[in-house]
Amino acid sequence: MMLFNEMVDNDQLVIADKTFTSRLFTGTGKFNDQQTMVDALRASQSELVTMALKRVDMQHKDDDILAPLIKNGLNLLPNTSGARNAKEAVFAAQLAREALQTNWVKLEIHPDPKYLLPDPIETLKAAETLANDGFVVLPYVHADPVLCKHLESAGCAAVMPLGAPIGSNKGLKTLEFLEIIIEQANLPVIVDAGIGSPSHAALAMEMGADAVLVNTAMAVAGNPVAMSEAFAKAVQAGRQAYLSGLAGQVNHAVASSPLTAFLEAG
Amino acid sequence: MNVFVNEQTLEIAPDCNIEELLEALDKPLQGTAVAVNQNILSRSLWSDYSLQEGDHISLFQAIAGG
Repeated sequence: MMLFNEMVDNDQLVIADKTFTSRLFTGTGKFNDQQTMVDALRASQSELVTMALKRVDMQHKDDDILAPLIKNGLNLLPNTSGARNAKEAVFAAQLAREALQTNWVKLEIHPDPKYLLPDPIETLKAAETLANDGFVVLPYVHADPVLCKHLESAGCAAVMPLGAPIGSNKGLKTLEFLEIIIEQANLPVIVDAGIGSPSHAALAMEMGADAVLVNTAMAVAGNPVAMSEAFAKAVQAGRQAYLSGLAGQVNHAVASSPLTAFLEAG
Repeated sequence: MNVFVNEQTLEIAPDCNIEELLEALDKPLQGTAVAVNQNILSRSLWSDYSLQEGDHISLFQAIAGG
């Protein structure tokens, strides 16, 4: 039997052609400045970071966010944020492939700006097209177990069901459906969106999620760097708990101390 | 001759290619994607494609995001 430490040490996440040691994926949005972002990403130990794409503003020069990410050896996961339907998402993915020279894409199609909830029909359509075109597709979806199976059949490399609306920090509001998705999945499940604190991340990992993606909760924390480190620890703890096999729950008490009646001895 | 870059009119030298255009605009090559008349142009073709009068060029840039 493999020693437990050995099991934890060899516990790597494989998605398509890449192997990850860290199960914490991160976003690059909403950080106050570039240095804080770089320091926070380093503290998180994340190996995969998301990026967005936009039309170049001809009047202003944008910060070069890419160079420090590449310098730190991070894998890039461009998203299709802003796409309102499958056609726009496919175009965005193709642009991102050129811009970042990667065939990985976080497919997200959310036409409604208030809740940013993903459109399942357009997402499935785009996923089929992109997977056929050789993309490594990681779709952002509602925690819908049936949809996740369809996306698996469509050739996606992982699924990214949400815990709560993007940036809401509300935690795993979809918990019971995430459990079904995890139970049924034959591909990695990455819980994305809504994770607002390290305990939410730990819970997702204890449930058997393969990874979590966190952005807002780190970027807008009082101390983003320290918070990112806290997330790294929480994800590691949650994963180790999952691998250790959690003790089951019962409704009645089960004594942890021996119930010897020594007070009544005589 | 005139081309349109992200809907803005720009006068450029004849035979200017995409790479030269980006340099002239002081835009980074890394992290950039280009479409000419709605067709995405692979980076490997940037130095080969000579812009034509009236071309509509769309420039996209990688930015921070979640």
